[in-house]
Amino acid sequence: MRLRTDDDIYRARLVYLGPPGYTLPVHLPYAQYGLFILLVPLYMFIHWLFTLQVELFPAWEIALAIVTTSFVFRYVDPDRPARMVIRTALTDWRRTREPAAEQRDPRLVGSRIRIREELA
Amino acid sequence: MSRSSTPGSPAGHQAAPHGNRARSFDYPQAGELDDASLDPALAATPGHGGVGVFQAPRPPQRRAAPTEPAPAAPSTRDGADIDSPFLDLFGGAYARPGSAQRGNALPARALPQQAAPAGPAPATHRPTPAAVPAQPSRPAPGTPTARPAEKAGPSTPPAPARVSPPAGDRLPNARPPADDHPTRDTRPAGDTRPARDEAVPVGATTRTSRQAAAPATRATTPPRQRSVDRPTKPVRVRPPKIKFGDRDPAVELAITEIAGHLTFTPNTVTAWYWLPEVRWAFRPDAEREALLSAISEQYAGLAGFRLHLRRTTRPFPADEWARTIDTNTASPLPDVPGTPGWADHLVAAQRHLLSVNHAEGQTYLGVTFARRSLGDSLTERLLRTFGRGVAEGERRKLGRTVEQFDEVLGAFGMRGRRVTAQELEWLLYRSVALCMAPPGALSPITDGRWERGDLLALTEQVERYRTPYGSTVKLVNRMTGEERHVAVLAVGRMEPLEIPERHEPWLHFHERLPWPMELSTRVDILGSGDSFRNLEHRLRMIRSQQLDYAEHGIDAPPELERLAKRALVIGDEMTTGLPVDSARAHGWHRIAVGGRTREECLERARRLIQLYSRELRVSLQHPKNQDWLAREFIPGEPVANTGYVRRMPVHLLAAALPQAASTVGDRRGDLIGRTAGTCRRPVFLDLHFPMEVRERSGLAVFVAEPGGGKSTLLGALGYLAARRGVQVTLLDPSGPLARLCAMPELRPYSRVLNLTGSEHGTLAPYSLIPTPLRSEFGAGAAGDREFEIAVSNARAERRMLVQDICMMLVPPQVAREASTATLFRHAVRQVPAEESSTLDDVVSCLGQLDDDAGRELANLLLDTAEMPLAMLFFGRPPDGLLGPDAALTVITMAGLRLPDLKIEREYWSAEEALALPMLHTAHRLAVRRCYGGSMSSRKLVGLDEAHFMEGWRSGRSFLVRLARDSRKWNLAALVASQNPRDILGLDVQNLVSTVFVGRIAEDAEIASEALRLLRVPVDDGYEATLASLSTADATSASRLGFREFVMRDVDGRVQKVRVDVSYVDGLLDHLDTTPAAIAAAAGVLPTVLPDMEA
Repeated sequence: MRLRTDDDIYRARLVYLGPPGYTLPVHLPYAQYGLFILLVPLYMFIHWLFTLQVELFPAWEIALAIVTTSFVFRYVDPDRPARMVIRTALTDWRRTREPAAEQRDPRLVGSRIRIREELA
Repeated sequence: MSRSSTPGSPAGHQAAPHGNRARSFDYPQAGELDDASLDPALAATPGHGGVGVFQAPRPPQRRAAPTEPAPAAPSTRDGADIDSPFLDLFGGAYARPGSAQRGNALPARALPQQAAPAGPAPATHRPTPAAVPAQPSRPAPGTPTARPAEKAGPSTPPAPARVSPPAGDRLPNARPPADDHPTRDTRPAGDTRPARDEAVPVGATTRTSRQAAAPATRATTPPRQRSVDRPTKPVRVRPPKIKFGDRDPAVELAITEIAGHLTFTPNTVTAWYWLPEVRWAFRPDAEREALLSAISEQYAGLAGFRLHLRRTTRPFPADEWARTIDTNTASPLPDVPGTPGWADHLVAAQRHLLSVNHAEGQTYLGVTFARRSLGDSLTERLLRTFGRGVAEGERRKLGRTVEQFDEVLGAFGMRGRRVTAQELEWLLYRSVALCMAPPGALSPITDGRWERGDLLALTEQVERYRTPYGSTVKLVNRMTGEERHVAVLAVGRMEPLEIPERHEPWLHFHERLPWPMELSTRVDILGSGDSFRNLEHRLRMIRSQQLDYAEHGIDAPPELERLAKRALVIGDEMTTGLPVDSARAHGWHRIAVGGRTREECLERARRLIQLYSRELRVSLQHPKNQDWLAREFIPGEPVANTGYVRRMPVHLLAAALPQAASTVGDRRGDLIGRTAGTCRRPVFLDLHFPMEVRERSGLAVFVAEPGGGKSTLLGALGYLAARRGVQVTLLDPSGPLARLCAMPELRPYSRVLNLTGSEHGTLAPYSLIPTPLRSEFGAGAAGDREFEIAVSNARAERRMLVQDICMMLVPPQVAREASTATLFRHAVRQVPAEESSTLDDVVSCLGQLDDDAGRELANLLLDTAEMPLAMLFFGRPPDGLLGPDAALTVITMAGLRLPDLKIEREYWSAEEALALPMLHTAHRLAVRRCYGGSMSSRKLVGLDEAHFMEGWRSGRSFLVRLARDSRKWNLAALVASQNPRDILGLDVQNLVSTVFVGRIAEDAEIASEALRLLRVPVDDGYEATLASLSTADATSASRLGFREFVMRDVDGRVQKVRVDVSYVDGLLDHLDTTPAAIAAAAGVLPTVLPDMEA
């Protein structure tokens, strides 16, 4: 029996080519635009925290968001969703190599589980 | 340093709490020490106790201790606060700290020793776990010495008083009472907790967890402790607010209750099933496909549910096996002083079993089938406070719904059964303590002491450590000090697989590697509707992308079209095919690999990845965030992340088959080796199992090319059976097995009969066939009748044998003439076919015939009788030739030249021609001995070179009789031959219960006949398997250290087996049949044993 996964269908690269009639010079996956759109207000908010004013054209924020997006998507592939990459980056941002010291994780304790032999 | 600063501190008997506390931060250094201390030689040195001595912080000395153990002791002792060498003289005061240490180290040393004399059962698990407990104490002293060194620097002796508080807090119970600063009295927590903790090391859950957290706060706030230093105002010292820099040190599992085979989390209910192992190797492809499609139908029947497939392992219960074999051995061979006795023999076998690390797989399938309403979980929470758990109404309701799964899963295919609560506990523990050794004394089947909940309580002891972007998770058992690094790999891209035909099941495949691994698969089964909708959505996205490209006037990448087409085909299959074809499994598959060190773990992971990519074209990925992934193995915990989701038809999921296994043999016989196919399991063989339990015949057949290891295996089985008190007779024409009798433990109970030097009449054919006794048959008329039939059968057999022997003795040209057969038949008819008749009677009868031909035949027979070897056939057998007394009898024909059966008989020399009847009669002689004793006593007879039986009527009747009598006489018969055709040609394969086929590479025809003997499908490529058995590595110059066979046991299981009896001291040396070894052994081991012949 020849058995194969359906993964390649889900692995198709879907990119945004641009609005109708105008093709963008770079074709990026939809997810990148999504992340970019989320990041711009975030950076604007951070900017506001420092300066307490909102700029009309957030040039810096857009630039930073572009850089961040491309950085994040360098690690993204069909098997490694962006959500996971970002989450890993947020939890593990301190180091990029294996350090000598570990950090203790909470123990997972099952001693409070109730046990009965029979269901009913 | 602070731990054992005063001799009175009870450092010794609380190994576990010490280890617990000090483990958390400076662990790596401690880990190194651990590795060194794993060496039992180092652990046992008395100097090791030195670590417990109070001293100013001096890390370098600590380092020196493991490398040069002996001098380490004085050096640490010198560093004691009272600097006197004479203190050693007053053991009472001084020795405490050291003895404390030794108290920990002692079990490690003592247990293995005690194991040896302790007899079979108790020796089993002890050695391994026992070596561990020495650990926890060691890192503990290491930590305090190292830490303060950084902090206090080159502090003067008063420093300890100042430095000790932090360390003392971390190791509160070891803190010297005398040291107690007045300031510390204001901190009740630090002082009172440890005392209670000592008393209740396991039970006090919250308290211990709190304490484990304490080091975190301390370590992060060193400056504050500096300020504490100043002993000016006690008021300034506030009780430290316990702030957790770390997260909560203990987290409850998501599962809140286990009820029967259901587990409850706040939101879901999961029903768990146990999937028994299924046989995979050497089955016909049609059977395998039927199995896979049955399983995939079962999966498809679970559409809409989320499944959790878990495979864990259990170390082989060697002690249980030893107990079984000991019970089954009524009277083992009496021990010979100075040699390993029966108990030692069993202990050696168990050691061997443990050292090769066999693990048995256990597969669990969880079906998450119910969402719990808010009301339900609130009710549960409420009832929990009253100690009652999930409401009865809910449970009863679930009990009804869950029955549908019993029906689906219990059918052919998975044949799942409900798990018990204990098994779920075991699974939970194994999942929390991923890849760690199971609790030492737990031998899961025979245990009686593990009460409900005990195993779950043990999860408290397992600490987890992560590193940012780390590639492993570290798990530490605080109780045993065991440390494990675990890497979790996710199944990435998979290329198409051809499962029954070319590839192994893809989640069974990892068992090729010799260490145990754990599997966790979480899948959502989508029914046809869901999966079609899912696919259609994807198809629309692809189409829209294509449209986009068209609108923009750009060429779309060709893959889009290809994928769209594929989606269309699959969609078509889904809509028109059976539900099984349309059901899809979307989910995550992970494999956890463990190792003692991070390097070992990563190396194992690397090998696993390599194996999968090379052989199965599955790319295993090693993602980050290992701690989440490791957590995913625990039932009820959430999926770690959505990455590496594999979407596949349920057929492919079914073909993962993690429950596949390759067991063979019974579990009550001697250890003869391990399976060598897709996984490693110990193989036990009790040759009396077919007769005593399965009520089958005890005929076992060995087929291999010369050099395939037949004789060695025969000898090994004979030895092992003799150890168990079985009466063993081995016929070995070429003679090397005679050296078995020289083994010291067998020597008093064995003897060698060399036929070439025996007396006249030893092989007299008439007496070789015993007359049945009336007592062997039942009482009454029916018994009488049976007895008469048996007596006349014996007579007929005697006549047949004598005719055949006569035909063999005359030259082949004469034998071919028709009159010869007639005359022999006539003469044999004249002679009464009783045991007392002889061949001389036949000769004289022939001589008295008034026929020239008859006289000529008589003369021919007399001519042969002049040869010394032929004299064995004439005359009467000497009395008491083979009594039933000796445990092991080896019959040899040393010096006899065996003819080549491929050459015509005419060209055989006279000696070769004589070898044929000798072998025939010798086979009879070997079996004859077994009819001497009681019918029910266990007997074993091993016959080598049985291919000489082929082509003679008496040969077939011999084997048939052997097979038939084997049950009645409890006689295990091992027949070795070079060609399976002998057995097939004799048409006795239905009576054969056990088959061993060794390497057959030369002749494809022989190979396919061997497969027929094994009842394995021919022309399925298994011939290549036979040819590849015991393949020597062409690059190595040394001899092959093992032999492989394909074995078929009485239950029809077929498996590749690697024979390994190296655990029996000296057995292989005595069995070595290679010329060099024989020559080398000539001085030591007697090749011919005249002195031992009876």
